[in-house]
Amino acid sequence: MKKILLLILIVLVGINFTACKPEFASPISDGDYTSGNADFSKYVAVGNSLTAGYTNGTLYKSGQSNSFPSMLAERMQLAGGGAFTQPYLDDDTKDIGGMVLAGNPILTPKFIINASSGGPEPINDVPTMDVTNIHPGPYNNMGVPGAKVFHLAAAGYGNVANLALGAANPYYVRMASAPNTPVIQDAAGQNPTFFTLWIGNNDVLSFATSGGVGVNQTGNMDPSTYGPNDITDPTVFGAVYSQLLDAMTANGAKGVVATIPDVSSIPFFTTIPYAPIPMTDQNTVDALNAAYLQYNQGLQLALANGLITAAEASKRTITFALGANALVIEDEYLTDLSGLGLPSIRQTNADDLVPLTAKAIIGTPDPNNPQLINGVTKPLEDQWVLVKEEINMVRTAATAYNATITQLAAAKDLPVADMAATMQQMSQGLATEDGSIYTADYFNGDNLDNLVFGLDGVHPTPRGYAIIANKFIEIINKEYKSNLPLVVPATYPTFDILSSN
Amino acid sequence: MKKLLVVLVFLSIGSIYAGGYRVALQGQRMLGMGHAGLSVFSNTETAFFNPAGLSFLDKNFSISFGVSGIMSNVKYQNAQYNQTAGTNDPMGTPFYLYASYRTSDQVTLGLAVYTPFGNSLEWDKDWAGSSIVNSISMKVFYIQPSMAYKFSKHFSVGASLIMAYGSVDYNKNINRYLTDESGNRTDATVNSGTVSAAGYSFSMAYKPSDKLSMGLNYRSSVVLDAKYGKAEFNDVPSFLAGKLKTAAISAKLPMPAELGVGLSFKPLKKMLVALDYNYTYWSIYQELKIEFKNGLPPSVSEKNFHNTSTFRIGAEYVVNDKINVRAGYYYDQSPSTEGYFSPETPSLNSNNYTFGIGYQMKKLAVDFSFLYVDGIERTDYTYVRGEGPSAYRFGGTYVSNAIIPGIGLTYSFDK
Repeated sequence: MKKILLLILIVLVGINFTACKPEFASPISDGDYTSGNADFSKYVAVGNSLTAGYTNGTLYKSGQSNSFPSMLAERMQLAGGGAFTQPYLDDDTKDIGGMVLAGNPILTPKFIINASSGGPEPINDVPTMDVTNIHPGPYNNMGVPGAKVFHLAAAGYGNVANLALGAANPYYVRMASAPNTPVIQDAAGQNPTFFTLWIGNNDVLSFATSGGVGVNQTGNMDPSTYGPNDITDPTVFGAVYSQLLDAMTANGAKGVVATIPDVSSIPFFTTIPYAPIPMTDQNTVDALNAAYLQYNQGLQLALANGLITAAEASKRTITFALGANALVIEDEYLTDLSGLGLPSIRQTNADDLVPLTAKAIIGTPDPNNPQLINGVTKPLEDQWVLVKEEINMVRTAATAYNATITQLAAAKDLPVADMAATMQQMSQGLATEDGSIYTADYFNGDNLDNLVFGLDGVHPTPRGYAIIANKFIEIINKEYKSNLPLVVPATYPTFDILSSN
Repeated sequence: MKKLLVVLVFLSIGSIYAGGYRVALQGQRMLGMGHAGLSVFSNTETAFFNPAGLSFLDKNFSISFGVSGIMSNVKYQNAQYNQTAGTNDPMGTPFYLYASYRTSDQVTLGLAVYTPFGNSLEWDKDWAGSSIVNSISMKVFYIQPSMAYKFSKHFSVGASLIMAYGSVDYNKNINRYLTDESGNRTDATVNSGTVSAAGYSFSMAYKPSDKLSMGLNYRSSVVLDAKYGKAEFNDVPSFLAGKLKTAAISAKLPMPAELGVGLSFKPLKKMLVALDYNYTYWSIYQELKIEFKNGLPPSVSEKNFHNTSTFRIGAEYVVNDKINVRAGYYYDQSPSTEGYFSPETPSLNSNNYTFGIGYQMKKLAVDFSFLYVDGIERTDYTYVRGEGPSAYRFGGTYVSNAIIPGIGLTYSFDK
């Protein structure tokens, strides 16, 4: 009997302990994360493609779900944050992005890596999203790919009738609460308690990525006259930006604004070196130098006649040698010597930036004259190179924008996320908090795991957006005394690698 | 015999998250008193604790069998990233079988079959540390024949051979992001196959009086060298299908040597107190290197274990002719070095509380034991490779416990 009693006792003790799982001294619980003196209950993100979650050349469903505002909102939800809606993309059934208008493709689908050919290329598929499949917002994520600062305040930017005029945006057409309601009205009209505003990149970027074929509109105060690839006047930028900030803070919302990166902070301009032409055969080198001999002699003649400086003569002299060679390009900023029968051409140098898009044409035969090779015997046109003068225009404007952003933010007591610095690091290589190292050696093929920019060379991958989200979190926590947890960049995707396309 | 071996291999073994992957459950009577059995020579369990002590057993023939049920839990959290996870470990059932036979006044033969090492963890699938481990199941058992030689009334020595058998099944995700086309995380399962190796042990028993005894035991290390293992890859995206194919692998898994000294005495007529000290040579486990024979680079994770000490105390009280009650405590050190703490062996320093009761009939004795392992919370990390050239840090706070009831039977007689 005694034995049985003791046995029962042991069993009871055992059961008691079984119910007892290990517990932390201070377990993570819902109450651990606080918003500090911010209020995350209604977060609205305003911006362009970087806010929308655009990556790998387009906006697609899974890219959108990994937008940086979506990551932020998910963290905010641990500290009183509310629901976070993003523009409807359910009709992107293949998760490839791109867009059609009345059945005709108007935007290409996402870039992928084709493992059989090695390079990035658009996925071989047809987009399913139609511009006219309108799901009126407003949405918490008011990022509109392609938007410039003044677009956010423009009426009719969501009107499909304006598409043909270039005064509307297919993404905004689909998401605007009404065709003529400006983006900022849809954003501010939600009465946000918290916002992020990151705008201005396209005001210089489209000029840069187009190789400087647009116009520097500095001095022109009427943005309705600007072309798509123009540089926005800094005064116009400041006036609109101020208006945007007033709208967003009208009800006392707090938030963060972000600076815009330098043009050299995107792999789009840093991937192709200025001297990408390899030469291994002395006969070819000799033949090329012979072909440009007449041009080089002409330069000496122009110099002797005082038409150009010695510096320009030297800059324009074209020579090839064994090893890596610079590209032959057209340069509109050279002295016009057509009177002597000399074209305005020269070879690229370290001051030039070659856009990633030139990769497809460098070294290929000229379609009009297959005897000529692009960048070697056929000078590349203006759009394929961003020359020093153009880079300076971009830098001057961007510097002015960032000064304005910083100044206007200070006046509203808003913290500034220095995305110019963050994207500089992202393009040059950085280590995240957990020690993962991401490199800048873009497209070398061996380090696909260690890149944070997508295949368009301009936009981060979701993994890159996670780094950006962490930067925002850091600044929000610091400024507003909140303690939002970070995200782990490595757990986010990059781009698709397909065995064939 | 061979059939028995096969059966034994398939019994699973759980880990108790203390002292690396050592599973110290080698006798219900001794476990009731803190597993301090190096100098207690009154039960067949000494065939494991101190084979020299077989010389001092009362009966000429004795056989013991026992089994435990390990119910364990590990939890993980990291507030910086809002990560929480836990394990849902299958119940481990380590066992032992001991026999002794006195052939002459001097010589006693012993046989011990037991499960000194093991690990059984099942983390939440695709949890934050899944690139280190999703699940692991390690099963090791030793077969140890011994001979004890009694030099005098008070002193004996023992020597043993050890045949070790083991297998490991280990699943982890390839890295923190790779998925197949449907979004399933790509993972690898490594299976060592059943591997065997040999070792030895020697021991000394000294019993100057009925009230005092001392013991020493050394058990050698055994390295299980899996030369013909296999790695399989699951949920592989098609562009990697040619690279991540089923591959032959090899890996070495060391079982550390252990040195123990013990002392027991009777402060009261009805009470026995035992003290043990174990020193485990965990520094043998420096890295886990899996070499692939299909051209993939080897997978190396640094372990950098250090040697550990375990301090044990236990007591047994004779209630009457039939009933003994026991209690014990031991403190177990984790061999994990700071900066190398990995969730695939989340070994914490631990306080261990044991209770037991024995019921003696004429020839048969029944022993119940109960062990509660209270792992001491630890915040630590490890560096992980496998995502390009750089290693990244993974860590957080871990806590664990285990509840381990056990039952043992001993049958002894004098011919």
